Amino acid sequence: MENKNKKSFLERMGESQVWKSIIRSGVPRSRRQRMQAILGSVFLHLHPARIPKHAVKIGYTWCMGGLSFFLFIVLTITGLLLMFYYRPTVEYAYTDIIDMAEQVPLGIMRELHRWGAHAMVLTVWLHMLRVFMTGSYKPPREFNWGVGVLLMTLTMFLSFTGYLLPWDQLAIWAITVGTNMARAHPFIGHEGPGASLLAIGDINLVHAGSDVRFALLGGRFVGEASLLRFYVLHCIGVPFITMILMAVHFWRIRKDGGISGPL
Amino acid sequence: MLQTIKDIIDILSAPTVSFTFLTVAFPFVFPPTDWFEKIHRKFGIWRLWTKPGFYGGMFAITFFFVVGYFDPNFHVTLTKADNFPIILMIYSMFITIWWSMYQAYLNDERLENGLKPNEYNDPDDKVLVWPDLVYIEFIALILFMVFLIVWSILVAAPLEEPANPAATPNPSKAPWYFLGLQEMLVYFDPWIAGIVFPMFIIIGMMAIPYMDINKKGDGYYSFKERRIGMFIFMYGWLVLWLFLIVIGTFFRGPNWNFFGPFEYWDAHKVVPLNNVNLSEYIWVKTLGTGLPANILIREGIGFLVLVAYMGILPILLAKSWLKNYFQEIGPVRYTFIMLFGLSMLALPIKMYMRWLFNLKYIIAIPEWFFNI
Amino acid sequence: MTEDIKTTPPASVTPAEKDDNALGRRGFFRWMTVGWIAFSAATGGFFTVIVRFLFPNVLFEPPQTFKAGFPNDYASNFVDTRYKKKFNVWMVRDEESIFALSTVCTHLGCTPNWLGTENKFKCPCHGSGFRMTGINFEGPAPRPLERYKISVATDGQILVDKTKSFKWEKGEWENAESFLKV
Ligand code: HEM
Ligand code: FES
Repeated sequence: MENKNKKSFLERMGESQVWKSIIRSGVPRSRRQRMQAILGSVFLHLHPARIPKHAVKIGYTWCMGGLSFFLFIVLTITGLLLMFYYRPTVEYAYTDIIDMAEQVPLGIMRELHRWGAHAMVLTVWLHMLRVFMTGSYKPPREFNWGVGVLLMTLTMFLSFTGYLLPWDQLAIWAITVGTNMARAHPFIGHEGPGASLLAIGDINLVHAGSDVRFALLGGRFVGEASLLRFYVLHCIGVPFITMILMAVHFWRIRKDGGISGPL
Repeated sequence: MLQTIKDIIDILSAPTVSFTFLTVAFPFVFPPTDWFEKIHRKFGIWRLWTKPGFYGGMFAITFFFVVGYFDPNFHVTLTKADNFPIILMIYSMFITIWWSMYQAYLNDERLENGLKPNEYNDPDDKVLVWPDLVYIEFIALILFMVFLIVWSILVAAPLEEPANPAATPNPSKAPWYFLGLQEMLVYFDPWIAGIVFPMFIIIGMMAIPYMDINKKGDGYYSFKERRIGMFIFMYGWLVLWLFLIVIGTFFRGPNWNFFGPFEYWDAHKVVPLNNVNLSEYIWVKTLGTGLPANILIREGIGFLVLVAYMGILPILLAKSWLKNYFQEIGPVRYTFIMLFGLSMLALPIKMYMRWLFNLKYIIAIPEWFFNI
Repeated sequence: MTEDIKTTPPASVTPAEKDDNALGRRGFFRWMTVGWIAFSAATGGFFTVIVRFLFPNVLFEPPQTFKAGFPNDYASNFVDTRYKKKFNVWMVRDEESIFALSTVCTHLGCTPNWLGTENKFKCPCHGSGFRMTGINFEGPAPRPLERYKISVATDGQILVDKTKSFKWEKGEWENAESFLKV
């Protein structure tokens, strides 16, 4: 900076036509430019341009909401890559999983996905805990806490549907037990209380072939159809709903006045 | 010496003992009233939420895992790849809860002295998101990615034998985050433990902001201002959810029998589990008449117990002990708080009835799949 | 309610320009009714289609009936585990009858193991125990194992039909189709 006339590489880049076409405010140097950098970007303007001091402290947010979102993105990318190799059929699923680790160079994609999923359950829990501990669910953020609870449920459901896909012993028994709970659902599960009341004469309307468990599994047992249904839910259905709720969640953080704080 | 410690830990971790200990100790750790607070101070339990408390807690957890690592029996469960998240969970939960309580106590003191909480800053004194927040996020993200990659390289994702519908592995466990549910299934019928309770958990959690009308403690750590809400939530979260996960992971072995962490998983361990229904207690054991044929008469007492617990108890409480509280929050809130609160409390109650009296169901109507 | 509606005139119609096109109060409600019925029918129909779509007419599941040898093959007080793997059935013979016991734990559907030495079926998932007859006596299982329809085929072999099951708690084990006298 000694020489006023000599501009640094960054500065020259910031003035180039290409840069300016992307980031209109140039290199974020001045206060105004820095605020512009946030406001002018689709992604960054999730944030406000200025926030209270305590809100950037790790000790306050633990970064856990942000990391949950980050993990969701990591899981989307790694999951997409896994889909290139994995076929959701009883015949191939298990062997595809083995091949994925053994035949693909740098084959830690499955690990990234699996451990990332575990980690996301944890970060979401921790995020929930910190929101509770700082009392941030109190008005005006009641609604967003509710959205958060749904997000947590969906996160666990995402993880759970993914559990079946390797089609190993762990998988099918966890899903057998899990979905058998649906069998005991009042009224709409065939072994739930009240199901036998839903009958026309002698014909039971709710039986093993017509209850919620069947709808979930596509059969009376965990089998071919269940694998496909869980695969579709895991890859498209649940992430889709999660994404919508995340959008609501982020929008509401801003609308509720940004990160909570003492008055 | 070490063996004695292990034996003691084995005995202490039996759910009957550890659960009782946690439940009894809980109000002294998170004191909900002045009386508990007094003892909390008197016996120095508050030191748990100071720096020495942190080191002590971290040491205890680490000691447990290190001893476990070198123990031939605990080693097996501890080093299972899928159990690593639980170790992370135990550490991270301890650290974050300690941190929150530590900050809360500092803030409580400030508030008592008429100061603003630590988090308070002049509203006009804001920082710019670029670079202050964006950089932090960026660094957190990179560090976390590094952690995830290292974890993935070091620990291979497990894959067990190919699926075999005819042979259930013994023991057969749910994913770790659902082990709390699986533990509930031991004490409640599937339609309660698998459907009603999870729904109550979800709806009850969503209802927290509407039930907790205490406006204080919003946006900063604090304990004293919201100690009752804090106490109830933390009991549910720590003891009824996280602790049940720990039990399910480390202390449940073949045939879903209980095993101490350092105990050998003997698949032939015989544990007598002859459970008896309330109706059998009354008609067969007490009156000696045999079960009546009419289902409703047979289970009448069970229904009475249920109605008394969920219906009459809240009304009595509203008229006596919780009178002021009832007037403050009104009937609608009160009803929901009681519904969720008593359902939550039903879990430990049923656990104790099982342990003490081998009670299976309060209402047992398998004919209608209606067991409670 | 009706008061309210009376005092609120239809938005853009003033009395002066009232003509044949104007929608009277009756007409308005008539159209509202039609509108709501159409709306409910459309959404209801749509959801019916969605829900029904989850239940296919044809299932590709293993055959539900199988032959399980001759009655004389079975020794008294014996649990035959040969048909467990393929058909999820234990063939049990006690003193006076043979019956086909489902291998699905009535708790949450794990497959218990037959422990010959302890004379019981023990479920590995949450520890339910069943006697040889299928009656539950320990653990969380709420009711006994189910039995399947059993008969003798024309060739003298035992025929098990899994499409029909018999539940103890409904008194169905008395049913003649639920066991074979020997
Ligand atoms: C997929 C899961 C989730 C994602 C990606 C997510 C993301 C975020 C992010 C990035 C923030 C900003 C502040 C922070 O990082 O702490 C936030 C705030 C918040 N979250 Fe979440 N969250 C999730 C789940 C939850 C859950 C489970 C709850 C509660 C049960 C919750 C309740 C809230 C509330 C009330 C706020 C506002 C907090 C404040 O203003 O201090 N979220 N969330
Ligand atoms: S599934 Fe058999 S005991 Fe739970």
